[in-house]
Amino acid sequence: MAKKGWTRRRFIQAGLLTTGAAALGGFAKPTGLWAATPKIKGPIKVGYQAVMSGTLAGYGDFHRMGATMAMEEINAAGGIAGNKLVIEFRDSTLKTPEAIQNARYFVDSWEADFLAGVDSSGQALALGPVMAELDRVLMVTHAATEKLTEEQVFKNGIKQIFRICSPTYQDGNAAAFVAKDLPAKTWATVSPKYEYGYTCWEMFKNTLGKLKKDVSFTGESWAPFGTTDFRPHINTILDAKPEGLYSTEWAGELITFVKQAKQARLFERITHVMFPVGAAMDVLEGLGAEMPDNIWISGRYFFLYPDSSQNNDWVQRFRKRWNHYPAYVSETGYATMFAFKKAVEAAGSKDTAAVIQAMEGMQLDSPAGRRVFRKEDHQAMYDVPWGLTAASDKYPFKIMGKQVMVPAKDCFNRPPFEGDESKPPF
Amino acid sequence: MSLESIVHVCLAGLSTGMFIWLVASGLTLIFGVLGVLNFAHGSFYMLGAYCCLSALKIMGGNFWIGLLIGPLFVCAAGFIIERFFLRYVYHLALPYQLLLTFAFVLVFDDLVRILWGGGSLGSPSVPGLSGSVDIFGRYFPTYNLFIIIVGPLVALGLWVLIEKTWYGRVIRAASTEREMASAIGVRVPALFTSVFVFGTWLGAMGGALAVPYVGLLTPGMGEAIIIDAFVVAVIGGLGSLKGAFLGALIIGLVSSFGTRFMPAFDMFLTFILMAAVLLLRPQGFFGKAS
Repeated sequence: MAKKGWTRRRFIQAGLLTTGAAALGGFAKPTGLWAATPKIKGPIKVGYQAVMSGTLAGYGDFHRMGATMAMEEINAAGGIAGNKLVIEFRDSTLKTPEAIQNARYFVDSWEADFLAGVDSSGQALALGPVMAELDRVLMVTHAATEKLTEEQVFKNGIKQIFRICSPTYQDGNAAAFVAKDLPAKTWATVSPKYEYGYTCWEMFKNTLGKLKKDVSFTGESWAPFGTTDFRPHINTILDAKPEGLYSTEWAGELITFVKQAKQARLFERITHVMFPVGAAMDVLEGLGAEMPDNIWISGRYFFLYPDSSQNNDWVQRFRKRWNHYPAYVSETGYATMFAFKKAVEAAGSKDTAAVIQAMEGMQLDSPAGRRVFRKEDHQAMYDVPWGLTAASDKYPFKIMGKQVMVPAKDCFNRPPFEGDESKPPF
Repeated sequence: MSLESIVHVCLAGLSTGMFIWLVASGLTLIFGVLGVLNFAHGSFYMLGAYCCLSALKIMGGNFWIGLLIGPLFVCAAGFIIERFFLRYVYHLALPYQLLLTFAFVLVFDDLVRILWGGGSLGSPSVPGLSGSVDIFGRYFPTYNLFIIIVGPLVALGLWVLIEKTWYGRVIRAASTEREMASAIGVRVPALFTSVFVFGTWLGAMGGALAVPYVGLLTPGMGEAIIIDAFVVAVIGGLGSLKGAFLGALIIGLVSSFGTRFMPAFDMFLTFILMAAVLLLRPQGFFGKAS
């Protein structure tokens, strides 16, 4: 492992620089670009990992677009406390050992100041203890399991982890708040056969059960990662004959599921359908007109919400820069860099302990609206709507028509994350 | 348990099985004749899907034209792999062949990302087969019925080719007695190239045919199906087309019934089946005992 410290060479370099700077000092005070404050030694290096290969490689591209755009904007405006921001991207491959290897490479070899990214819940949970050991702040931009913030950060005290995207509370709890006002009394699910799928369905059942006494859950079918043939799962659901269908299938698998469910005319038999990550751009654009109307969808961010000048300007800039509508991972990747900037500038340091202190309770105005990093579990609190799919003249894909907002303060679990008082409704 | 449900679980199993068979047929043919376990077969499946899509876009949007033309480009890739790479490792131990074909998996995965991008692409609709039919009160995709018919037709075609034609006799001769066939004037290297290219074409057709049902194309799409195809090939007896067909039917039905009636074990079932076959009959249903 690379031991950090003063080598002879760096000592001489630093000496020369100081002498040079002192000589210049009287004449030219560094201003504008890279005019570093004395306490922070730049550049600020962020190691970003996301999935860049396999069937979900498109997600990595959208992470990269958001983070890169933030880097360009931050550096053009003078950097972070006068220091240049540098990002290195690595493929997380969605495999746990690879995620740990990447984190170690970033910190030990590349000397990253911060880490960001991570798509899979399994990877995020495995990174917990590693981040405590490496002692760098990791901002999670996609992985959603509530166990990361409730158990790793709050209970195990791994303060190095923060999360900027909305967690499973949006998928499970907020969905239940929307479902309680629907006439459906029997619900079934087709969801991913791993941590994310299980934990969302549990949360949806528990919360909806509390909000509405006469609901029952009549069927579940779990599709392994990489499922391309949902017909057997669709049979299970059609046999269960529920009035409502809840599915946390996402990305390409959701596209496949919707197409195959349409062929089975499932949406004619089950009229109340909820897709917690159906508002992802890859799904909306991938399905286009094939996405049925009047399906409840949500996500971690949707580019038409909030209707604020900050968000609208950002979406315009994003489209100009990349010729795409921003995906939610683009927004979380983008906002992450500004969170680092704000925390470092507030702390006047890039040291982990100081940055953690600055980030706890920090407010951040981002395209998705105002985020507040909750002190106890380091989860960013912000609101994302649920909405019904509807066609629009302005876009070649379905957007959210009628919207329902379940505010984060009402649907996010609360510390101490134990017992019923910690879970909505409050 | 209603009749409707049982019929549809069967239909789902049959169509799943036939999708796997279309891929496993080329894999099995190549192993049976050349003795090469071709990891890159999943890449041919993926390339077949992408080339079909690009060909149909260039040729004006008809799926059937894409299906006809697209896989031919993949055949060209298959030709290059066999003629300029694989041919030089036939005499080496099996691990070298595996390593070489695995290298091509990585190459093709990246190639697809460079040429077509990392995101998913939408699938074309199939003229005439895009609807669904009402079977016992539940709708089943017409396209999947078509695949359930195409699968056995491909099997029949392969049987006729191998058992009833001159070309098939030469293939059988060369695969059982390579030196002897060569001694009586069969140009074995050229024959092997042609079989490899034909196997490649079968894999590419499998990919092109899968796209309308899967609904999208993604880099790495060959990885899931190739595992099923390997399981099927092992159960049926490596190199046996008859075995692969039967294996695909069984795996398709087991996974469909498993998902419906034993959901907790659906991922295990196919592998338990494979383990059982390997324990009780290591050479597979129709494999030759060594």
